[in-house]
Amino acid sequence: MKYFDKIDSTNEEAKRNMYEPWTVLIAKEQISGHGKGKESWFSPEGGLYFSIILPKSNFDDLQTLTILAAFIVAKNIKEEFSLEPLIKLPNDVLINGKKICGILTENIIGENLKLSVIGIGLNTNIKSFPQKLENIATSLQIETKKEINNDEILNKIVLDLKKQFKSIII
Amino acid sequence: MKIKVKIKNKEYEVEIIDNNQGEVNIKIGNNAFNFNSNKTIANPEIIPLIDESIIFKKEVKAPLSGVVSEIFIKEGDHIKKGDKLLVLSAMKMENEIISESEGKIKKILVNVGQKVKEEDMLISLF
Repeated sequence: MKYFDKIDSTNEEAKRNMYEPWTVLIAKEQISGHGKGKESWFSPEGGLYFSIILPKSNFDDLQTLTILAAFIVAKNIKEEFSLEPLIKLPNDVLINGKKICGILTENIIGENLKLSVIGIGLNTNIKSFPQKLENIATSLQIETKKEINNDEILNKIVLDLKKQFKSIII
Repeated sequence: MKIKVKIKNKEYEVEIIDNNQGEVNIKIGNNAFNFNSNKTIANPEIIPLIDESIIFKKEVKAPLSGVVSEIFIKEGDHIKKGDKLLVLSAMKMENEIISESEGKIKKILVNVGQKVKEEDMLISLF
C-alpha cells in the first residue's frame, strides 16, 4: 500500500510509475480525479480514492474484473451499511439514484499490454457536495449519518477483488 | 535479390547477395551478415546498435475494437518510444495507446469519436 496526501489522481500515478501488481495507491485527496471520458470525480479529503495495479491479463478478464468491481463495492455497501445500492454498469454504484462510487480501469498498450490499473472512488466521509453535484452525488456518511472507517472498507474491497481475480484466471 | 520475410506479423526486407566466391551476404535493414561453408561472420562495421522495432514499425494498429476518445498527437509531430498517442475506449476500459517506435507522424487515420475495429490502422509514421 502506498499513501499520498494529495495527488492528481491515483490512476495517473499508476500510469506514471511501473508498480508491482497488486500495489494499492491511496490518496487522501485527488486534485483531478476522473472517470470515463475524463469526466471529473469530486475528490476532497474524507473520501476513499484508490487504484490497484492488476497483473497482466487478457482484455476479456480485465473487462470482467471491472464489472465485478462494481458488484464487490455494492456488496460491501449493502453488507456493512444496510443500504440498497444500485449498480449502473460498468462504472458506477448509486444510492437512492445518486452516485456514490465510480470505477475506471485503464490500460497502457504498446505492442503488448504494459499496465492495467483499476481505480475506485468511493464517497465515504464527505459531508456535503457542491451545489452542482448535490442532486447527483451522495456519500456513505450522508446516507448513514455515521463516520466511515476508510481502511476497513478499502481492505474488504481489495481482498474481494483479489479473490474474484483468482477465480476469473482459473 | 530482395525478398520480404514476415515473422510474427513483422515484415523484414532481406537482401541476399551471392558473390559467386562461396560467400553469401545477407542484409536485413542496416544489419549485414556474411555466410560461407566454414564461417558465419557478422560484419562489425555496418551493424548499428538500433532496436529493429524502431526501424521497421511504421504504423500503429488498434489492439482491440473500440471508440477513439482522445488523440494526443498531430500530423508532423516527432514521437519517441513510450509517447502517448491516443485513447481507445473499449470493453468498458480506457486504453492508452503508446508508441513502440520513434519517428514522425505521417497521417492520423482516425478522429475522436470514431469506431475502430481490432487491427484497423490508426496512425502511419514516416
